[in-house]
Amino acid sequence: MTTTARLEMTEVVKTFGPVRALDSVSLEVGAREVHGLLGGNGAGKTTLMNVLFGLYKADSGTVRIDGREVTITSPRDAIELGVGMVHQTFLQVDTYTVVENVVLGTPLEGGSHRAGLAAARAKIAEISERFGLDVDPDAVVEELPVGVRQRVEIIKALYRGAKVLILDEPTTNLTPQEVDALFASLRTMVAEGMSVILITHKIRETLAVCDKMTVMRDGARVQTLDRADTDAEHLAAIMVGESHGSYETPTLTEAVALGTEAPGAVVGEEHVGGFEPGVSVVGATVRNDHGVELVSGFDLEVGKGEIVGFAGVAGNGQVELAEALAGVRPLERGSITVHGSALSGKPTAQWLDGGVAYVPEDRHRDGILPTSGITENLILGSHRSARVRRRGLIDWRAARQRAAEAIDKFSIRADSPATRAGDLSGGNIQRVILARAFAHRPRLLILHNPTRGLDIGSTRFVYEQIREATAAGCSVVVISEDLDEVIAIADRVIALYQGTQAGEWASSQVDPYEIGRRMTGLGTASVGGAA
Amino acid sequence: MSEFLALVVPMWVVFTLAAQGTILSGRTGVFNVTQEGVMALGASVGFVVAYKLESNLGGLFIAFLVGALVGLVLTVMTTQLRMDQFVVGLALFFAATGAAGLLYREVIGVTMTPPKIDTLTKYDVPLLSDLPVIGEPLFRQDYVFFFVVVLSIAMYWFMQRTGAGLDFRSVGENPKAADSLGINVNLARTWSTIVGSGLVAMAGAYFPLHFTGIYTDGMIGGRGWLVIALAFLGGWRPLYVVAGAAFFAGMDALGQKAQVIGLGIPHQFIEMLPFVATLLVMVFAFRWARQPAHLGLNYDRESRLAG
Repeated sequence: MTTTARLEMTEVVKTFGPVRALDSVSLEVGAREVHGLLGGNGAGKTTLMNVLFGLYKADSGTVRIDGREVTITSPRDAIELGVGMVHQTFLQVDTYTVVENVVLGTPLEGGSHRAGLAAARAKIAEISERFGLDVDPDAVVEELPVGVRQRVEIIKALYRGAKVLILDEPTTNLTPQEVDALFASLRTMVAEGMSVILITHKIRETLAVCDKMTVMRDGARVQTLDRADTDAEHLAAIMVGESHGSYETPTLTEAVALGTEAPGAVVGEEHVGGFEPGVSVVGATVRNDHGVELVSGFDLEVGKGEIVGFAGVAGNGQVELAEALAGVRPLERGSITVHGSALSGKPTAQWLDGGVAYVPEDRHRDGILPTSGITENLILGSHRSARVRRRGLIDWRAARQRAAEAIDKFSIRADSPATRAGDLSGGNIQRVILARAFAHRPRLLILHNPTRGLDIGSTRFVYEQIREATAAGCSVVVISEDLDEVIAIADRVIALYQGTQAGEWASSQVDPYEIGRRMTGLGTASVGGAA
Repeated sequence: MSEFLALVVPMWVVFTLAAQGTILSGRTGVFNVTQEGVMALGASVGFVVAYKLESNLGGLFIAFLVGALVGLVLTVMTTQLRMDQFVVGLALFFAATGAAGLLYREVIGVTMTPPKIDTLTKYDVPLLSDLPVIGEPLFRQDYVFFFVVVLSIAMYWFMQRTGAGLDFRSVGENPKAADSLGINVNLARTWSTIVGSGLVAMAGAYFPLHFTGIYTDGMIGGRGWLVIALAFLGGWRPLYVVAGAAFFAGMDALGQKAQVIGLGIPHQFIEMLPFVATLLVMVFAFRWARQPAHLGLNYDRESRLAG
């Protein structure tokens, strides 16, 4: 490179206790460049960026911005040096308005607070205009949809004059339309001289928007490539690691879910012929925690061995629907029958006996007992079953035996079955929850964002497990904000909008843009966007 | 009526002062539960200093400093060492309660007739104090009353009407967001807890300095705990706290009045009145009252668990 790079990180090391999260990682990003940071869960992408943003303190290594060596010990330093970061979970004060969130931590211009806010409002309007980031500055952020909240997050960084913008998995909750708009905004930014770092695990997105990409694996940099010198197949191979000798060409399903293959290419796997009736939901009506009726008169049939996928923007009744199907949330009206037994209104224990298994969205809150060991977490729900009982008490030897087997089978990275679940990484917690769900020998399996945050290997493993379950006649409901995933694994895709079915497609006939329109409440009129 | 108001207003001063101190730290996410102990300590320190130095202002000031010291311990334990706020708070409650009695016995000793100090001088608000019925009880007050009025307005102004207040409140709502925008979370929590705890101790010092002129163990009588309830009832907002404090003070005065009249009900039941009324109000208040989202939760920047 002839000119100095905008950003140079050299041999950065970060350890969390005994875990070496970053093993001497170097990264170079030029001006006017969208740089993709690619890798599976636990690869260290976010950790590296948290170091750059001053949230984590690196053990060693140097950072240069525009050729000058800098010390970043807090986000304040990073902001002053022109580094902005959009986190995966938005860092916003829910009860504040957009403009209040944007100005937080900055001195306001003008004589009074009111005048300062007015000036900020004008500046936000100017930023919105310039980069195509449309927001209402006086809206309270907790009332805004995810896509808009993300724009607020980007505006926050731009308002502070960021010249290096980091985005952590920004497309997870977006519709295809919103992804397109976001990428257009990013291109505008680099055209104006900014640098953008895009953390992602989706190869297709990287190829669509990045100029360069760095692949990370197990806390180390594997390779940095030019967009022109690579393709999807090549990147996938590097991500999984040819050196491990374990790389196999992904199946079509996996390829679509990983974003190396365009959706719609799943035809070959279409299930021929119908399914035997399995799960039937009639007129289900569910209230949310605030007593609002979010799902009304919902009908659903899932055949034995069928996978039904729900696509939708978060907050459109997914959680309520999933919990109702799992028997965790009571039905206001309606009924649920699983493989012949009517379960609605019965106690949870009977749902479990009826073969209903649930993988919740919020792993920490609803999925595990963080201070209990893996063993305890794995037998939760089946602690009444004969498999772990002896003389009316829990047979801990058998339970530990099962835990050890699960750790092995699901390759949970833990020291022992006694390791506290809360000490595991997000991906490993998900493996524990999945191991528990599959151990139930389920007849109805409800999966909410089952592979979020998992690497390619784990994702493939989850899909294999799902397929194994359906082969045994299990009915599967997959609810995911990852549209690619829903399209890839489901036999039937249903768009969810405000708790109602806004459209239904066989997986061979889906058009992601059409699903995107439906799940944001737009009508049937096709605008003609091709996949 | 006039007589009843005269009972209510000083108690309003106590409740408002202590509750403003509580919400000041609460707004940055530090849930202070030391009030009952810190108020007792404030009463003891305030009395002893006022008695020895023959200066009521000195008593108030030193009480503030000692309360601030307890606040400093609380904030170091919770922000630096990340110990559980509630557990540390309870421990400090016991320590402060014990220290209050100890200090009095060490300095004054056990006496047949307890030593007495002059209570605070009252000042008239020109014109207003001449009003019938409400004039005397409302507008003939000592300087602590005027201080509390100014403090409440200033806190409202700071929190709701300034950019610094916006930053300040964000620490209790979402410390990670605040941190990511360069706001110093620990600094905000530290100073708000120190100042807040100092104000709580001052509220305690008001007991000997205004009401009795003497110090006795247990003179706070559970009002410190009610302050926590008041903070919730007031939704952790300065002006709502002012209104809520009037209600709590009213209940308190009613209890006192009922004892004097002697309704033939055992006084233990009458003393329960403010607590029972509080319980009833809180049952309904909790439905609408908001609280800082991270109240009572410690912040660890590098924690991988916290969302």
